[in-house]
Amino acid sequence: MENSCYNPISLAGKKFFISGAASGIGRATCILLSKLGADLILADINQKGLEETVSLCKPTDVTVVMDFSQSGVIKEHLSSLVSVFGKLSGCVHIAGKPYISPLKSINSATALEVFQINTMTALELSKVFASRNISVDEGGTIVFISSVYALVGSAANVGYSMSKSALHGITKALSIELAPRKIRVNCIAPGFVKTKMGDSISHFFTEGHDEKIREMHPLGLGEPEDVANAIAFLLSDMSKWITGSIISVDGGFTAK
Amino acid sequence: MENFYEEIAELLEVDSVSGQETLLSFKCWDSLTILSIIALADDNYGITLSTSEINDSKTVDGLKNLFIQKKS
Repeated sequence: MENSCYNPISLAGKKFFISGAASGIGRATCILLSKLGADLILADINQKGLEETVSLCKPTDVTVVMDFSQSGVIKEHLSSLVSVFGKLSGCVHIAGKPYISPLKSINSATALEVFQINTMTALELSKVFASRNISVDEGGTIVFISSVYALVGSAANVGYSMSKSALHGITKALSIELAPRKIRVNCIAPGFVKTKMGDSISHFFTEGHDEKIREMHPLGLGEPEDVANAIAFLLSDMSKWITGSIISVDGGFTAK
Repeated sequence: MENFYEEIAELLEVDSVSGQETLLSFKCWDSLTILSIIALADDNYGITLSTSEINDSKTVDGLKNLFIQKKS
């Protein structure tokens, strides 16, 4: 029996759009998808980071600088990109912004910016992707990245939590709306992953905080690749009967 | 920095503050208030503060000086 080449998670011949591709989970995802044979459009606000990521992918992959704090940016870029690159089989919204602030110091403008980047961009991306001009005729798959803090409470995190838990609502609603088009919509809720985004908020915390966070994860802190693996699964045909799911990839954080 | 005292008073949950008051003397002084000050510094002044820097500043004016020093 010739099964040595059988690879049910192969993404060869498929094209995907990845937001937040310049670092962390986004970079790990692009590298993995590229290894699995996918062609990619990599988007981020950080041009230097994008160039580093694409150097680790395929030379034919495309990068585009996008500022997701501006609404309409995806529609503006994606139509022209796809006319050259080809229609997409899926998209992943990984770009995100943290926001640590207790209720009494929450700033509406900052909270709205976080909501725009984390949530409204996901909705905008879904809207553009669902267009028959953008996605392949046989359907497709959309993956969002939320957080354990969309599932469990955490002090000083209300702005971030509301932006991430809204993704769960979007996932459920769109999974029903887009099922007739054979477009699957799923969301991954990661635990703490060692990334630059995490480093960017480390000044909020006292010594010993890292150890506390580590203790919240029975399997220890995650690597960007741990989330990338789940994304690859959700983009592949191995998950073709999965839609509307919120998948915890959190080292056991929410199992407690 | 013209609204500094008003902004800090709001976070400290009092009507007004004076520069000599020690941070520890406020009833609501806790880790969430410290996080609030860090968030305020980031949002309104574009500066990054740490918990230990805030604790070390001791008084309201000490905190104000920390903001000024970081902004310069």
